[in-house]
Amino acid sequence: MTSDDLSSQFPTYQHQLKSFLLRLTASAQDAEDIVQETYLKAQAKIDSFRGESSLKTWVFSIASNLAKDLLRSQKRWPESVTDICKEEALGDRKFFQEAIHIRQTSPQGNFEIREHIAFCFTCISKSLPLEGHLVILLKEIYDFKVKEIAQILQLSEAMVKYHLHVSRNKMMDIFDQRCSLINKQGICHQCTELNGIFNPKQKAQEELVKIEMAREAENRSRDELFDLRMRILQELDPFESGAAKLQLHHLEHNRQVMKKYLSESD
Amino acid sequence: MNQQATTTRKTFSRKTSVQTSIAADPVIVWALLTHAAEYPRWNSTVISIQGEIKAGATIELKSTLDAKRTFKLKVKEFVPEKRLVWGDAQGSRVYSLEKSGSGTQFSMSERIGGPLFPLFAGMIPSFDESFDRFTADLKKEAETIQRSKK
Repeated sequence: MTSDDLSSQFPTYQHQLKSFLLRLTASAQDAEDIVQETYLKAQAKIDSFRGESSLKTWVFSIASNLAKDLLRSQKRWPESVTDICKEEALGDRKFFQEAIHIRQTSPQGNFEIREHIAFCFTCISKSLPLEGHLVILLKEIYDFKVKEIAQILQLSEAMVKYHLHVSRNKMMDIFDQRCSLINKQGICHQCTELNGIFNPKQKAQEELVKIEMAREAENRSRDELFDLRMRILQELDPFESGAAKLQLHHLEHNRQVMKKYLSESD
Repeated sequence: MNQQATTTRKTFSRKTSVQTSIAADPVIVWALLTHAAEYPRWNSTVISIQGEIKAGATIELKSTLDAKRTFKLKVKEFVPEKRLVWGDAQGSRVYSLEKSGSGTQFSMSERIGGPLFPLFAGMIPSFDESFDRFTADLKKEAETIQRSKK
């Protein structure tokens, strides 16, 4: 493997890497920085790459280590992140003005419920312990095998399975309790509420039937519903989709709110 | 080998033991035994464990055996994937793991006793049923994880 090989192959998974890092850090800037740092580090260490894993796995390993270095010093978010951030947003006129401006002027300013489902997962999954967060993203969204994740995170395969099992169950419990799309008693309706604000002429119910997870809520097991939720994330590139700019604006708002909230709770 | 819990009684002590074969890597069994916050999700005998299960740490355990009481326990031994011991002045709970093929031979015991044991022995409930449930829950959860998708 040469430096030229890396240069030619890196762009083929650069988008996926950036998407993974955004969902891990909840910061577009951090994701961008770590992608660049990963490339530089991979170039510097290319002689040590022995082909024991694929180049993609090796690159994700470098990126994961860089992300862990950044995130270890940061507190994890609470499960109620979206409630806390909603309260803040309701009192933040500037946030809504900017969001409406993006909605009206940007080609990536659409509001789509499925995009918000992905956004919601990004926020709530930051309540998982860091190792569990990494494992669930790599396995459920970026389709790495358990063996590859073990290589990326320098864990045993058994430990990867443990983290995956625990993280999946935690996320399923949270969504079972909160998400009104899969549970009529669910306490969170933010996706349909925001749809009403950004798409006032659209009927949320008509949009929801287009989303298999919502349409099948009463017929599928919680594992199957979680897999359908993951499929939504697999299909979306959070930087390239038609709703990317609006969702990134919302994500940055939540990140700032969490930063303040967590520093005040010290 | 799966055995039901048994208790042996002496004048100044009591010891309950149980053992079972678990078709899961010791890494998984160890992870389940040492992630305190996760216990209530898989273990029907534990209401909560506060604190971190690591060498020398103190944890606060609430058990279904006596839901009103919080046990403050010290982690006395912590040998990854082999042996975990926690307890207080009255007694110690010992978890032992031994790799057996691709699985784990698991045993758990608790000895309580001391000079005043005869005075309060009658007030301490039997651990047998709780031990059986603990090991059954551990076995079920560990084997589910072991079988999970690749």
